[in-house]
Amino acid sequence: MTANTATVVLVAPTVTMSDPNHLLEVNNLKKHFPIVRGLFSTVTGTVKAVDDVSFFIRKGETLGLVGESGCGKTTVGRCIVRAYLPTSGEMLYQLANSSIVDLATLPGKEVGPFRRDIRMIFQDPYSSLNPRMTIFDVVSEVLRVNKICPNSEMQDRVEALLKRVGLRPEYMQRYPHAFSGGERQRIGVARSLITNPRLVICDEAVSALDVSIRAQILNLLEELQTDYNLTYLFISHDLSVIRYICDRIVVMYVGKVVEISDTLDLYINPRHPYTEALLSSVPLAEPEGREERSRIHLQGEIADPSNPPSGCYFNPRCRFTQERCQSEEPKLRDMGSNHFVACHFAEQMSLKGVIH
Amino acid sequence: MTSLDILLEVKDLRIHFFTDEGIVKAVDGIDMNIFRGRTLCLVGESGCGKSVACRAFLNIIRSPGRIVSGEMNYYKRTTDNLVNVINIAKLPPKGDKIRQIRGKEIAIIFQEPMTSLSMMHTVGDQIMESILLHSDATRIEARKQAIELLDRVGLPKPDRLVDEYPFRLSGGMRQRAMIAMALSCNPHMLIADEPTTALDVTTQAQIVDLIHDLQRQLNMAVLYITHDLGVVAEVADDVAVMYLGKIVEFSDVHTIFHAPMHPYTQALLRSIPKIAIEREELDPIKGMVPSPFRRPSGCPFNPRCSKMMEKCTSVEPKITALGENHTVQCLLYE
Repeated sequence: MTANTATVVLVAPTVTMSDPNHLLEVNNLKKHFPIVRGLFSTVTGTVKAVDDVSFFIRKGETLGLVGESGCGKTTVGRCIVRAYLPTSGEMLYQLANSSIVDLATLPGKEVGPFRRDIRMIFQDPYSSLNPRMTIFDVVSEVLRVNKICPNSEMQDRVEALLKRVGLRPEYMQRYPHAFSGGERQRIGVARSLITNPRLVICDEAVSALDVSIRAQILNLLEELQTDYNLTYLFISHDLSVIRYICDRIVVMYVGKVVEISDTLDLYINPRHPYTEALLSSVPLAEPEGREERSRIHLQGEIADPSNPPSGCYFNPRCRFTQERCQSEEPKLRDMGSNHFVACHFAEQMSLKGVIH
Repeated sequence: MTSLDILLEVKDLRIHFFTDEGIVKAVDGIDMNIFRGRTLCLVGESGCGKSVACRAFLNIIRSPGRIVSGEMNYYKRTTDNLVNVINIAKLPPKGDKIRQIRGKEIAIIFQEPMTSLSMMHTVGDQIMESILLHSDATRIEARKQAIELLDRVGLPKPDRLVDEYPFRLSGGMRQRAMIAMALSCNPHMLIADEPTTALDVTTQAQIVDLIHDLQRQLNMAVLYITHDLGVVAEVADDVAVMYLGKIVEFSDVHTIFHAPMHPYTQALLRSIPKIAIEREELDPIKGMVPSPFRRPSGCPFNPRCSKMMEKCTSVEPKITALGENHTVQCLLYE
């Protein structure tokens, strides 16, 4: 614990946030993975999984992170919990006592306390629970390892939380195989909330679930957010789930942020051609008028993050591409009313949303 | 629709799995008709028997599963435009007769494009396999056809791709290669078992449109299996909603989405988030799909149903016709 206080004292005077309402500010975050070949592990290239990503999360909101597979959204989440050490950039986190810490440069030994503050819920409820641990062991592990509460209290604490997430505490001594997918995901939720976190990163938390169960878990996450005053970073590729649960959305493409906007604004009025294409490919649960709906078919494959195209990474697939797009990389620009976009021609295009 | 248009007629099909723990009634008496040139969507949550049912149409049910009873009448058109009725359920699964149908008349695309292609053979070889098996083409002709097929499903540089191994292809490209393989013998019916579940939305949209275009060109019947109601709304002509081995509701796509009658269909539609200005609260179905060994008595949906009545726990609902093309299995309508 002493290490933690020491960091706070050291860092607090030097870094500040642009807004006191921000819980987390990610600035110019980069995570590059080396590609190694051969006997002597020579580095032959780098995969720029996350390349210069900046965004912030306000206290109490749900921020959605969307994009296709391989766009780096999971890597961002893992950097925030410091499962990965970022290559460069800042991740400023505001503690409960309003002092600020840069998670990106924190030495490994001092990360521990923040791992209780920032928790994760994983996608696959089958592989993310150890089959040889009982539910009680799974949920209480973090308490035991970090000696957060005495053994005598642990039982009650786990019991209360299991009840809250909709599981029967009597089943605490059972193993994960005895539970269905939806129940397992509830166990995953309980495991992440047992430390009373402030920020929860939901990495495709409902993607592997059936429709009826998915709705149960989405509603549970919402209730818990109000009850425990949680902030969510909701990583998903499912734009209908994102529409339902998120206040704001960050759209990523090949390691870069292409657009940030309030949820409804993004669906009505996308400003980046990639967002427009992404939205147009979402199947709407409405058969009426489906023949008239026009989809934008993206040409070619998603760019290779180890060998991205020059200029704007989206230019080879973009309908509106011009010369400038191939030579100059667009910066994320403020378009007003909370809308940011990384496109040279955002002002000149009128793009179609999915909500009219 | 005339009886000429009918391609596959399924009557009271039952498929049971005889396991050590007991009998699992994966498919428990389903009736449906599949017509040429139309798309039928089979929807349901995992474990409702939709994949097992579609595998039965090719007679590829694995032990301990068995087709216990029922008919699957395939209306095969002969060269002189006569119709020959074949009951697939009665054919031995390893006989010549089913092999004449499997892959040639009825083709299937599986969910996982990553695992359903052989990694030991080139894409071309895998497509050529069924061409060589079902026609008199020589290897050179078959190769030419394979290249044409790859081109038709929209893959770039098909003459190079034909000699590539599947690991060189992305998920969307593999799914296209799977479709090329399925189309190699101009099938009359295409079964697509969750063909886009493992793909990104942009790729999903491309594959969905590709299947739709090919269907129109070839006048195929498509049986589309999915749990994604968004995809259903995009592709289906008719929809069959399955729950625990039964088709609880069957109708055309507009009726299913706008005037569903079965409480399960209604509940499913209330539990999906919609993209609209007004954010509607989700109303999840309570509980979960029961274990197949502990099937509720009476109507299988009764423990989760919001309109449950006393007799639902004891009386099994029968198939009730509500309209010309609308059936439902629920005691509310009997």
